[in-house]
Amino acid sequence: MEEEGAAHRKAITRFIKRMPSLSTTVGKVMEICSRTDASPNELNKVISLDPVLTGQVLKLINSAYYSLMNKVTSLTRAITMLGMNTVKNMALSTAIIRSVSGAKKSIALPTKQFWAHSIATGVCAKLLAKANGVPVMECEEYFVAGLLHDLGKIPFGDEYIDVLQKVKVDYLPLIDLEREMLGVDHQEVGRQIAEKWKLNEAMTCAIAYHHDVEAAPEEQRVRVAYVGLANMYSNILDLGYAGDPFPAPEGADAMLEITGLSWDMFGAVAKDVEAEIEKAQVFLQS
Amino acid sequence: MKMRFWGVRGSIPCPGSHTMKYGGNGACIELRVEGRKEIIVIDAGSGIRELGNSLVANDLPNGPLQLALYLSHTHWDHIMGFPYFTPIYIPGTKMTVHGPVTYEDDPLKDVVGGQMKYRYFPINVGELASDIEYKRLREEPNIDLGDGLLLTTKFLNHPITALGYRFEYKGKVFCTCYDHEPYRNLFITDPDHPEYDEAMAYEGEEVAQEQNQAVEDFFKGADLLVHDTQYTEEEYKTKVNWGHSTFEWAIASANRAGVKRLALFHHDPDRTDAQIEEMEKTYCEPGKYGNTEVFFATEGSEIIV
Repeated sequence: MEEEGAAHRKAITRFIKRMPSLSTTVGKVMEICSRTDASPNELNKVISLDPVLTGQVLKLINSAYYSLMNKVTSLTRAITMLGMNTVKNMALSTAIIRSVSGAKKSIALPTKQFWAHSIATGVCAKLLAKANGVPVMECEEYFVAGLLHDLGKIPFGDEYIDVLQKVKVDYLPLIDLEREMLGVDHQEVGRQIAEKWKLNEAMTCAIAYHHDVEAAPEEQRVRVAYVGLANMYSNILDLGYAGDPFPAPEGADAMLEITGLSWDMFGAVAKDVEAEIEKAQVFLQS
Repeated sequence: MKMRFWGVRGSIPCPGSHTMKYGGNGACIELRVEGRKEIIVIDAGSGIRELGNSLVANDLPNGPLQLALYLSHTHWDHIMGFPYFTPIYIPGTKMTVHGPVTYEDDPLKDVVGGQMKYRYFPINVGELASDIEYKRLREEPNIDLGDGLLLTTKFLNHPITALGYRFEYKGKVFCTCYDHEPYRNLFITDPDHPEYDEAMAYEGEEVAQEQNQAVEDFFKGADLLVHDTQYTEEEYKTKVNWGHSTFEWAIASANRAGVKRLALFHHDPDRTDAQIEEMEKTYCEPGKYGNTEVFFATEGSEIIV
């Protein structure tokens, strides 16, 4: 068993080594977008460096704002017409999803379902944070943290099919079976990817601790708890599929306490989740 | 078409002895089209309260109210009167609320109805007796509203998404253009600046001009245009990017677009009656700025278009 575990780890490490780096553009877009004093020139330049990203951002802007007339055909135009903030937010979300979707897909998890789960978790994390009074400007980070939380499942190979099967047969939490059957869990794998991609601490912690919130560094624990709750929410309600329909319920109370959310508030996001997911799906259209 | 100003102020209602003549209520315009049962209301600033009272007194006796509310945008001064609009509490009232929503923001219903939560107001939006439907609007030409009435919407330049409305009926045109600031080149134009980029500076200028032209085309030939004029040119120097226009800009562009009558609107809350009277001498003198007839919008005044 130990030998098998070591073999899985080796295969995963090899996989991560071969994964593409987070493109320089995405890193720069993230940096510019997190600064409030970035100039229109900087934003324009950074996005323009990547023609594909530019195309996606323009497509998104056109589908979100415009009908047939007055198509927005350049970034300079988009920034002049819609302002810095709108373009910044759209570029950030598009850049992240694109770079993550570009990684080799897990064989065991159907891609579409997997991203539906990721989006749902991002949306729930954002809605929960918003409902609890987190400033709107910060809520986008909760979305991104939720979106990326299961990155660590991507490198698993054929052996993951058995794990997912056993989850369904025995009604057990996925992470327990990963540890038992593979000797490594998706939090640990996710952390390796986060390190390779040099994701910031907030994102890294959401990926590495969403099933073990209390082990997260204190200053990151609240955000991680939101992601943990959002993950539980989309798992229980079958929003997409990422292999974990029977998560351990014990963690919920602790996470509610850390976030200061009540069960009622947790349940109340339901009314907005669907519409928000639909809105976020736009990012996945290529 | 017949329109009436129920509120002409920007930012915040400012009742008092200094605003008696032009009015202290926030943006609200009533528009009636002959033979059309549905009454059009543009914006739900504090002026909508008195419109509501008038509708209940004068129109309700003829049957349930049919209303179409068009919001220019959802900043508070344009929606704050909504909870005080009596018709929404009357069973049988049918109202459609139209308006733009900034991407990633909540749906229109939540943005407008969100102010009717117990923490802000004693009645929750879910408890309203009327039948209200919410419709998000984008930029679109020639929407057929029936009875020969056409509507064109146009995105304006404001910190959140805002729409101008152009209503056309039997060859007559009534147009709103607020809240709106002229587009300008946002990119660095100083060639010595380390981040200067010639192409960006050039295109930024081109797009700004083109968009300003598009706004003028939108209200081209209007019989009546209601335009944002919160500031003077001098005041504007410290209010760039606040999303409002100057008298000078609105008058010049209405002139270029061949607008017949221009109502200066969205008066700054600090603007007193005495100041406006003084400004009338400058801005409303016939022929001084071309052929457009220019006047300050006054609460309670009615205009046939």
